[in-house]
Amino acid sequence: MWLAACSPAGMAEKILIIDDDEQLLSAYREYLSERGYEVDCAQELEEAQTLLAFFPYSVVITDLRLSKLAFGGLDVIKHVREQTLQSRVIVLTGYGWPELKSEASASGADTFLQKPARLTDLGAAVDMLIGAKA
Amino acid sequence: MTSLLETIVDPRALSVCFQPIFEIRDGVRLIDSVEALIRGPRSTKFNRADILFDYVRRKRAEAAVDRSCVVAICNAAQLLPSHMRVNINVHAVTLDHRSGFVEFFKRHTKERSLRLERFTLEIVEHAPTSNVPQLIDSLVALRDSGVRIALDDVGLGQSNYRMMLDCHPQYFKLDAYFVRGVAQDAKRIAVVRSLVALAGTLESTVVAEGASSEDDLSRLAELGVTFMQANILCPAMPLEELQRLGHLEGAQASHAPSGAAVGMEMCVVAQH
Repeated sequence: MWLAACSPAGMAEKILIIDDDEQLLSAYREYLSERGYEVDCAQELEEAQTLLAFFPYSVVITDLRLSKLAFGGLDVIKHVREQTLQSRVIVLTGYGWPELKSEASASGADTFLQKPARLTDLGAAVDMLIGAKA
Repeated sequence: MTSLLETIVDPRALSVCFQPIFEIRDGVRLIDSVEALIRGPRSTKFNRADILFDYVRRKRAEAAVDRSCVVAICNAAQLLPSHMRVNINVHAVTLDHRSGFVEFFKRHTKERSLRLERFTLEIVEHAPTSNVPQLIDSLVALRDSGVRIALDDVGLGQSNYRMMLDCHPQYFKLDAYFVRGVAQDAKRIAVVRSLVALAGTLESTVVAEGASSEDDLSRLAELGVTFMQANILCPAMPLEELQRLGHLEGAQASHAPSGAAVGMEMCVVAQH
């Protein structure tokens, strides 16, 4: 297990990944689990909201566009911030629209990654945020 | 891609645990009935009922999932002794809109050769009931068919005086919040005492949930509560486990030892 994946108490840091692309979720989960993180996944807003209500996550990684109809990732960010200021939020987006990015940032996103994010980039972003948190 | 909700509305993804409800008189503990408690898909966080139903409510899918639960519970209930009564949780919203739940419930139990008189529907209420006349119509139809009605989580949220009057339940299931630690708490004693008196006037019966000690059980008995459901009496567990431990054999006339949970596989008792 990577040292970066452990909290000071020795527990694996918990990460929630929210994306409606099952294949991407699976790849992210596998990669981050191998790095020693405890990873939960959600494919939709309500699933994520429930998990956030019951479990404390160090990092939440969310796609900005969660359904084909709406930018549900913004709702996720707002929901995370309503729940806690402790969690760090990484936003994955295939959109370069600066106004969206700025809205996500104003809502409480900590870091942005262009989709599809390289696994190493994702791991580095998570490590950095958890390191910063510690 | 199968969504979580699509998975849950398939009854095969759900499992059922049963927790006995005891009638305790003069120290003699008899199993009166069992409450069927749903668990979500195994190996997921949604296996826990509180998490599962939080999600279901966010999706506003109570009616569909309640039906799925009924199917799973009826399948399991077929393996119970034929005299054993079964409590099933149903959201008020499932009953208060025109979902056809009552007809579905009657049809499904009939298809499974399960007598309606064996069932108590526990009304779970997490949001204000919007269509009270429809809810009452459904409850009257169920009661006329022999189904008993219980109001769950009494004292919390929407399980309030209005629901007591509107639903006229045979049972008030007093939430564990008011029961746990009652032996040492004069304020909780006052709540229990008042509910027992109210239940007597309204021709209902109090079921106390979640007593945490023998002292609690004794004090509840002193206060006139005879029906109790608690982990210290017997935790929720799969039917096979209840059978293996002999809890259902001669349940009508046997003493259930205190601390019956020792050595049992514990299920998280998180009722919806």
